[in-house]
Amino acid sequence: MGIMPFIPKILDPVPGGKTIVNMVDYVVNWARANSLWPLTYGTSCCAIEMMSSSMARYDIARFGSEVFRDSPRQADLFIIAGTITKRMAPAVQMLWEQIPGPKYSIAMGACTISGGPFRYDNYAVVRGAEQVIPVDVFIPGCPPRPEALFHGLLKLREKIMKESSRNPWKEGALSESEERNRYKEAAAAWAELEKIKDEEMAIAREQFKSNPPENYVPYKAIRVQKETFPDIPLKENLQVGKSTESLFEIAKKYSPEIQIHTENNEILHLSVSKEQYFSLVESLKKDSEMNLDYLIDVTAVDYENHFELVAQLMSITLGHKVFIHVDLLKENVPEETKDNALLASVSSLVPLYPAAEFKEREVFEMFGIHFESHPDLRHLFLDEDFKGFPLRKDFKHPHIIPKPV
Amino acid sequence: MSTNVLLPGFREAPLDEDFEEFYINMGPQHPSTHGALRLVLRLDGEKIIEVVPHLGYIHRGMEKQAEKLNYIQYIMMSDRQDYLTAIQNNLGVCLALEKGTKIGVPERAEYIRVILAELSRIASHLVFYACFGGDLGGQTVLLYGFKEREMIHDIFEEVTGSRLTTNFFRPGGSNKDIPDTFVPRVKALLKHLESALSDYDRLLTKNIAAMDRSVGVGVLSKEDAIAYGCSGPVLRASGVSYDVRKNDPYSIYASLDFKVPVFYNGDCYDRYLIRFEEMYESIKIIKQCIDKIPSGPYRSKEKPIFKLPNGSFYAATETAKGLYGTYVVSTGGNSPYRIHTRSPSFGNLAALNTMAKGQRLSDLVTILATIDPVIPEIDR
Repeated sequence: MGIMPFIPKILDPVPGGKTIVNMVDYVVNWARANSLWPLTYGTSCCAIEMMSSSMARYDIARFGSEVFRDSPRQADLFIIAGTITKRMAPAVQMLWEQIPGPKYSIAMGACTISGGPFRYDNYAVVRGAEQVIPVDVFIPGCPPRPEALFHGLLKLREKIMKESSRNPWKEGALSESEERNRYKEAAAAWAELEKIKDEEMAIAREQFKSNPPENYVPYKAIRVQKETFPDIPLKENLQVGKSTESLFEIAKKYSPEIQIHTENNEILHLSVSKEQYFSLVESLKKDSEMNLDYLIDVTAVDYENHFELVAQLMSITLGHKVFIHVDLLKENVPEETKDNALLASVSSLVPLYPAAEFKEREVFEMFGIHFESHPDLRHLFLDEDFKGFPLRKDFKHPHIIPKPV
Repeated sequence: MSTNVLLPGFREAPLDEDFEEFYINMGPQHPSTHGALRLVLRLDGEKIIEVVPHLGYIHRGMEKQAEKLNYIQYIMMSDRQDYLTAIQNNLGVCLALEKGTKIGVPERAEYIRVILAELSRIASHLVFYACFGGDLGGQTVLLYGFKEREMIHDIFEEVTGSRLTTNFFRPGGSNKDIPDTFVPRVKALLKHLESALSDYDRLLTKNIAAMDRSVGVGVLSKEDAIAYGCSGPVLRASGVSYDVRKNDPYSIYASLDFKVPVFYNGDCYDRYLIRFEEMYESIKIIKQCIDKIPSGPYRSKEKPIFKLPNGSFYAATETAKGLYGTYVVSTGGNSPYRIHTRSPSFGNLAALNTMAKGQRLSDLVTILATIDPVIPEIDR
């Protein structure tokens, strides 16, 4: 900030000095407000709208903010575009600390105001950017249009123009607790406004009734015709390539005990025991008629007593799909360690399909299923020290707020 | 930093003493990682030995949250996965729900679906074109790619009420009917797009700077592309002709005449070319549909309470990024017991290490641009 805070101290005692200080402040603020350089930062949908706003149609250059800086040290405006997750929050904080002051921030979109669509029943999303860094302007929308971003930018300019060397920029405060009372305050303020409005409206209604205008026609309700839609049956897609029956016959050659999991004309659903899982997939991959060379996905479902692992396989040359379901019984562990214990184990598909590596890591961290001979079984999306397995039905996390009914 | 201890995730054997081996962290805030993606690179000078992606910086727990939402509310979640092709994701979810409830779709709704999905594909590929140019250092390309995209979003806004997060399709059709202005606007757009695309083709395709940085860079062989579960343009640029629209057709794609472009080199340049070809094919599809939109209802009969019967249902669609699969498990309630998304970018990103191995550090940016990942779709 340099010399700026001392200017009023020196010039104020001088006759006419106050005017000079005001003029200097105006010039400084004008320069600052008209060349806000934003940081290139975006995590999700809002980032695309932020990009759109800097492109030809909307042209953020009209407001002096076209110079998107890739380094926080050259930026002075932080447009927080997109959801902040708990894992991203430290990075956001670090970026904010690296921006030299005076610095400003715009929270763009519903996620950065309150968590938006991810506020309730969610373990991963920070409920609002204000929990992490101080925010100057909030822009509602999911995502806000580029025009809304410009409105926010203009509001920020108004705020900057109010600064002076007597009232210099200082970093804003963070919200103290997660559930601050600002919603209550806002609700109370609204209620008061509504009360005044209701009173005024009541008076206006009285006046209208006693003295209606000459061309007044009373309102008559018109019944809107209800649209009726036809009941159309679904066109069934059949399995591409071979029929499910012939595929089942081929699979039966390799392990006679396998069963059909669900009847489906489109996809063959097989039910396999845990021991046979790997060998069956291996032989089905090698079989020239089956030729399951493509792994679509590996996922799991949590039931009360068992996990159901689903390996979704496809033949990319022949086109048919085979879904293999494996029931994994949950191991008996003491009740108090259950939440953090791996409850089942199954062989990994990585030797057959390299694609399984990331997907099995996801199943591992979300369900707590151990994959034998997986080369790199670490957390994928969650922090290394994350406690619990989110996609289990009995998952509890201190961050979750249930949605009020 | 030279050390014999490998950081977590790295697997290649340590190098000889002579090499200058060090690690670089790229992201989660980096202009060319297309969002909150973090890569840790192991380098020998400027040569990449290994890349390890660290994901989850935008993991929002959608699949867990979906268990508390009802089925129709989940369509909103799919918008926020791949926001560049939101309407195609809506379609993917709706197809899975239709399979569960056995709801059919009237002819008019099918045409609306196909036209909007293909418009969305063009919009997404234009963003790819823009970012590809931008990542190579061409700011002009960045500006042009977004120009035509805005026109497509104008149409989206008129039809769905939103530019990006459309939330438009419903099981059995769509949320609303298309306005009267839709057909003339799309026709005008197509007329403009064809000339604009040929301009863009001339701007970048034979540009010597773009070719030098992308021809022969980040080669992905056919075998690797299949093994790593790549899909969409990344798979087809490696010589595998697999497109869900052609090989496992949904909606009315079976009755439409279009080609699936396939390229065989598997390098960055082919992945660029294939997306350009796909834009032309999308225009071809829309042209076939736009005059044939039948009159009639835009959706079939709506159920008062949307419930799925017991069982599991799967539907696959081809979004601009690749194979988008939705797997729904229901136990009969009005909210999903488990809903899982197979996102195309996730599979494509798994092949990043294979593509980047042995390339220069600056080529990694090109490779990432041609994978065209959308990180919220990977992390969900």
